[in-house]
Formats: sequence, structure tokens, C-alpha cells
Amino acid sequence: MSFVSVENLQKNYGSTAVFSDINCTIERGEFVTLLGPSGCGKSTLLRCIAGLTSVNSGRILLDGVDLVPVTPQKRNIGMVFQSYALFPNMTVEQNVAFGLRMQKVNADDTHKRVAEALKLVELTDFASRYPHQMSGGQCQRVALARSLVTRPRLLLLDEPLSALDARIRKHLREQIRAIQRELGLTTIFVTHDQEEALTMSDRIFLMNQGRIVQSGDAETLYTAPVDAFAAGFIGNYNLLEADDASRLMQRPITSRIAIRPEAIQLSLTGSLEGEIRSHSLLGNVIRYRIEARGVELVVDVLNRSADDLLAHGRRVSLSIDDSALCEVV
Amino acid sequence: MTNNRGKWLSLLCLLPFALFFFVFQIAPLGWVAINSLHSEAGWGIENFINAFSSRFYRQAMQFSLEISFWSSLFGIIIAVLGSYSLRNVDSRLRDFVNSFANMTSNFSGVPLAFAFIILLGFNGAVTLMLKQAGIIEDFNLYSKTGLIILYTYFQIPLGVLLLYPAFDALREDWRESASLLGASSFQFWRYIGLPVLTPALLGTFVILLANALGAYATVYALTTGNFNVLPIRIAAMVAGDISLDPNMASALAIILVGLMTLVTVVHQWLLKRSYHVSR
Amino acid sequence: MSRVERGAAGVYHRTIVYLLFFILLLPLAGTMLYSVATSWSASILPSGLTFKWYIALWSDPRFLAAFGQSLLVCVGALILSVVLILPLLFVVHYHFPRLDGLMNILILLPFAVPPVASSVGLLQLYGSGPFAMVGTPWILIGCYFTVALPFMYRAISNNLQAINLTDLMDAAQLLGASTWQAAFLVVLPNLRKGLMVALLLSFSFLFGEFVFANLLVGTRYETLQVYLNNMRNSSGHFNSALVISYFLFVLLLTLAANRLNKDKD
Repeated sequence: MSFVSVENLQKNYGSTAVFSDINCTIERGEFVTLLGPSGCGKSTLLRCIAGLTSVNSGRILLDGVDLVPVTPQKRNIGMVFQSYALFPNMTVEQNVAFGLRMQKVNADDTHKRVAEALKLVELTDFASRYPHQMSGGQCQRVALARSLVTRPRLLLLDEPLSALDARIRKHLREQIRAIQRELGLTTIFVTHDQEEALTMSDRIFLMNQGRIVQSGDAETLYTAPVDAFAAGFIGNYNLLEADDASRLMQRPITSRIAIRPEAIQLSLTGSLEGEIRSHSLLGNVIRYRIEARGVELVVDVLNRSADDLLAHGRRVSLSIDDSALCEVV
Repeated sequence: MTNNRGKWLSLLCLLPFALFFFVFQIAPLGWVAINSLHSEAGWGIENFINAFSSRFYRQAMQFSLEISFWSSLFGIIIAVLGSYSLRNVDSRLRDFVNSFANMTSNFSGVPLAFAFIILLGFNGAVTLMLKQAGIIEDFNLYSKTGLIILYTYFQIPLGVLLLYPAFDALREDWRESASLLGASSFQFWRYIGLPVLTPALLGTFVILLANALGAYATVYALTTGNFNVLPIRIAAMVAGDISLDPNMASALAIILVGLMTLVTVVHQWLLKRSYHVSR
Repeated sequence: MSRVERGAAGVYHRTIVYLLFFILLLPLAGTMLYSVATSWSASILPSGLTFKWYIALWSDPRFLAAFGQSLLVCVGALILSVVLILPLLFVVHYHFPRLDGLMNILILLPFAVPPVASSVGLLQLYGSGPFAMVGTPWILIGCYFTVALPFMYRAISNNLQAINLTDLMDAAQLLGASTWQAAFLVVLPNLRKGLMVALLLSFSFLFGEFVFANLLVGTRYETLQVYLNNMRNSSGHFNSALVISYFLFVLLLTLAANRLNKDKD
């Protein structure tokens, strides 16, 4: 049986449904991401699992027990918020110890466990600092330590990295994943950033407008999107209507097609002729806009040397393997 | 973008303001400060010694402090409970009561004294009701207790006005985080809510204190200047019928200003503290 | 932390709010009732209802004179305030931003020095001699200016910060406007709403001022509050009608200020 099971969950705000009839399962020890654009319902779903938002109908099973009638205090779930939510009147140590205090753990054990948790997030020297004396990244690590020290059965993270700058975000991503693996803690992560989702997760639930559109591991979601939304959200897919695709590939195609930009090869000897319309340098990747047979394509090429940069107006040959074509709804 | 000439010209613009401010605010204060040190015996702190050794004047200070303290305490308790509940009701009720509280903050001084005489005077409607219900024997509005009740009344709107935005400092995600860590509502308030609010609470208490200490109109109108508090004492010595003693009045005024300044300084200090706590 | 709660918590909060409303309403309601009662003494409810007190009030020339004099003094003080404070704020925010700290301390003075204390000095300094003003409306206008100063300064100062004065001025000047033109054509219109709200609220505050009015001027230039106090020995019903009329007037002003405030957002 799955460790976490969401069954037929329904949540309305007034007369509008945020989501109706959501179902998903999560195995013990899995790192799962809820991914989607703002307003898709991912944060609401997370908050329902935490008990911070009520549900209209459905069940949320954790280790076989329905959580819906249980108050947040008793659910034994840890949560990290986007805004860190550290208590401003307490030091780092007091913040991290708070959950243990509520559980009435004795002073010695509390001290020991807090020290362990701070060591885990590499903040041992910060124990007597106050939140306003620390940077965003440090605050978020404290928040993480605070939610882990109570040994929760499930860890929820609500866009924890969105408020941090890029460099810290990357570092924390790795740290969170490493800690999660070490503890074997079942984790649900919410984000709108597909790069985060792809690098961190065992499985991804892609959500849109209150529905789970697709679920699977990173590879599947990236290479085999089920519909136009998924293709547009996960990567920089080229989305072609059936007739455009037919003209491009010179054979009859009856459904919409998505092609990954890196799956289109630029060569000097291909059968498909195209002209470079523009390029942009994205660091390690050069992104070309190329027009071929009346269809505009985005093509990504690794930026290996200065010679790779092709000028505007240059005619090139493309080759597209059939396996790169992905049928989408 | 501005040259020096422009700057000096604009300084001239400040002159009229400075003049009026000096004439009507600084000069009187200066006169009072200087003349508090002047008495029949020449220059010195005679007046202050007199003030603190005379039982009559000490009583004025004591009554002032007592009434201010208790009315501020009761006022702030009612205001805290009131503003917290105000934040948790639907917006129509909230806006209505909020506006109403703002309006009643204008209802102080002479009109308020009259309203209370009507309700709680010797023949007041509420006094009669309470007597008939056997709750009280007799009630003297024109006593210290009566004044405390009256002062509390006009402290409430000011308290609500000041405390209502203070709850902004309490972030919702602290509450959520605390509940996930196992804290009940009571524990949240005890360990997080009240500590974070404390600077704002103290700051408001201090403003209420200042408000009550300096109040003149209400107590004058209620007791026709016959109750012994500092403002009444001061005014009686400059504008009354008997024993005009502007120097003594100045000394008492400086004592009052001293109390108010202390209160204002404490408030400013508390304001700075609360900013860093609720970032 | 504002959300509607259901269940027991919701009932508790609503009860508290209604209680608060009731407490604040009681004196007002009592006065209101008294003002329309034919007679009401030594009993819990009045004996009958009538409007005769209001009619008596509004046909009393002394009342109308006091009302008018209050209006004059308050409006005069506010005009003086605007003329003095606007240029001050402009200069401070634009040319000398560091003065703002000093100004914030200065405007604490009217709070730290209660009117009774100032009155001692005012009576001595301006009671007689070359600067005699006591007993005239002029001293009242000057004092009311200091009373309104903290409110008006704060309100307009916040407003100026919100509209980002320096950027506006720079933009206007780059487009060719002189400092004066920029101030009048660009900054002032943006301040209008905030200024109106500050004026209306200061007005209600000044209208209820009693200390200066009674100590410095008294019956020589009777304002409404002084009139109210002087009438204390006449019929309580008359006084109540007076109080309610005053309160209704202030209520109208506050409503106007609120309406303007909502407009602004």
C-alpha cells in the first residue's frame, strides 16, 4: 500500500472549485514534486495535506489513516514555507527546539537533537542568532532544521527556494535532496520552476487548473509530454499543428507534434533546408530560430566554440529523427 | 539638479513656519521652563520643592498618575480584545465598527462629560438601572473611580486605532508553522503572538498614559474644575479666581511636561525595537 | 491575520465586536435619547419625545454665533497650516532630506507639551504688552496651528514619500519645467487627496478643542466647546441637543474624509 494516498479530493473557494477529484499516491521515502503554473492548485493541495486548509470532500491517507479529521497539531507533518516563517522573537536554537518543546521532550534530549539538526544544515555556529540577523538562505536552512528535528513522517516544502537568489537556490537544492536521501524521508515539494523539479525529484506531478495532467519521473515528463500544456511547460518544445508537421517531415501526420529543440540536429548535409532567422546566447547553449519549409523552429545547440555561432541569414541543413517526434493532444 | 542659490532661497520659505512655531510653541515652553525656577524667594528650585513637599500638590500628582494608569490599563485590555476580534469578523461588520470607533474618538472632552452625567450621574439612567437591579448601592461619578471609568471610555477608540494595525505584524504563516509543530492556540499566543506584539502593546499603553495625563477638558467639564489633578491645578493658578501664581503653575507644568516627555521618549524607543522584531 | 472564522471562534469574535460597539454607543445613545425627550429624570426611560430642544438650539443666536466662531477659527488655523506646512515639507523633502529627522522630533513637541502647560506661558507672554493677543481669535488660530501640525505634517510627509517627490521633480525639470512650475503643476495635484483627508481629520480634532479656547479666550470669543461648557446650568435636554448637533457635524466631516480616502485607494 502506498505511504501517502490522496483520494477524490475536492476543494472549493466559495462557488469555484480549486480542484475536484484529485487522486495520487506517493511511496515511502519518495521525493515527489508538484509542478505547475501559479493558480494551478499545487499549493492548495499541499496545504490540504498539511491540514492548514480544509477540504470539501475526499480522503488523505497517511500510512493508512485518514488525516482529514485530524488537526495540524497532531498530524506530525513537517513543513517549510516560502517565507521561512521563523519566529522573530526566538533565537535559531529556540526556533528549532520549538517543536520538541511542544512535544514536551526533556531539556537534555532537546539540546542534543537541536544540535544534530543544526549540524545537518551546517548552521551550528548560528545557534544564538536571531532571524533578522541572517540571510534568506540561512533562514531557510533553519526552517528546514526546525521541521526535521521533530522526526515527522512526511515533509512538505512550499516553494521554499523562490525567495532566494539563483546561486543560493542551487546550493540549497542539493542540500535538501542530500538530507532527504540520508533520512529516507517522504517529501512533497511544490514549485513552479521546472528545472528544480527535474533535478530534484523521483517523481513529478504536473498540474494545471486543478488537475494532475501528467505524472512520472523526470525523464518521462521531459521526453514524452502528453499534451500541449505539458510540452509547453516542461521544456522549450516546438509545438506543431498536424498540417505544419506533415509539411515539415514530408509525410502525412495526423496529430499535433512536439519536438525538443536539442533533438533537431544542425548539419551541413541534411535533407531539410532552413534559414537562420535569429539567435540568442544562453551561456552554454545557443538558441537559434530557424525557418524551414514555412515552419519556424527553435533549435538548441551546444556552444562549444566561437566557430559554432552561425550568422543571421545563413542557410543550414537540419535533420529530425522520427523518434524525436512526440505526439501530443 | 539644484544649485546653492536655490537652496538658500528655499530656506527662506522655512522662515514663516519657524516664526509661528517659535511664537506659539517654543516661546511659551521657554517661558514656563525659565519661570518655574523663579519664585518670591528669587531664582532657584523653590517651586519644585514646594510642589513635592506640599500634600495638596502631591495629591494632584498622585491622582493624575492613578487615573492615567488605571484608565490606560483597562482601555488597552478592552482595545486589544476588541481589535483582535475586529480582525476576525467579516469585512462589513469590521469596517462599520472600525469607522464607528474612529468617530467616537472625537467624542471626548466637554460633550463626553455631559453624556456621562446623563447616564451615570446621581440620577442617571444607568445608575438607576444598576441600583434597581441591586448591583450597586450608590455611585459617585464625580470621584476618582468615576473619572477612571470616564477616562477609560475615551481611551478605547484611541487604543483600537493604534492596535488594529499592530496585528499586521503577526504573520499568518507563523501561526500555521506553530500549529504544525504541535502548538495549540494558547501556546501560540504565549510563546510567539504576545511576545511579538509586546512592543506595540507597550507603545500604545504609553501613548494612552500621555493622553490621560494631559487631559483637561473632560475632568474640568465634569467637576467644574474641582477635582485635584495636575492639569486642573495648573490651570487654576493662571486662570482661576483666587491665588494666581504663574511661577508655581510653571513648576507644576514642567513636572507634567517632564512626565509626558519621559512617556514620549519611551514610546519612541519602543517603536524602534518593534521594527526590528517584526521585519 | 484577518480571516473569517467559523464555529465557536467566530461566535466569540462577533460577540466581542458587538460588545465593543455597544460600549462605545452607550453614551451617545443616552445623549441622543435625552435630546429628544420631553423630560427624563429619576427614571430609566424618558417620559415623551419631542424635537423642541433642537428647535430651541438652532434658533439661539448665541449658539449660532459660537458655531460660526468655531468654524472661523478652525478654518483660519487650517489655512495658516497649509500655507506654512506645504512649503516646509516641500523644502525639507526636496532640498534638505536630513532635516526630516529633526522635524519628526519637533512635531513631537505639541504631544509632549500638553495645552495646559503651554497656556501658562501663553497667558503671561501675550496677555498684555506689545504682543497682546489673549482674548482674541488670533492667539487661538496660532495655537490651533501647533495642534494641527503633527497630524498634517505626518500625513503629507507620508504622501510625499509615496509619490516619490524627487523623481517627479527631476522628470518634470528634465522636460523643461522650472522648480515652481514643477511644484505647482506636478506635485501639488498629486497631494490633493491626501491633503483633503488630513484637513478634514484635523478639522474635526480642532473643532473639539477646549483647553486653549477656554483658558486663552473664554467668553470673549466664544467657540462652540466653550459655549457648551457655559451652558452647563441650562436644561440637560438643551445640552444634549447641542452635543448631538456637534457630533452629527463632526460625523459628516469624518464620513467625507472616509469617502475621499476610499477614493484614493
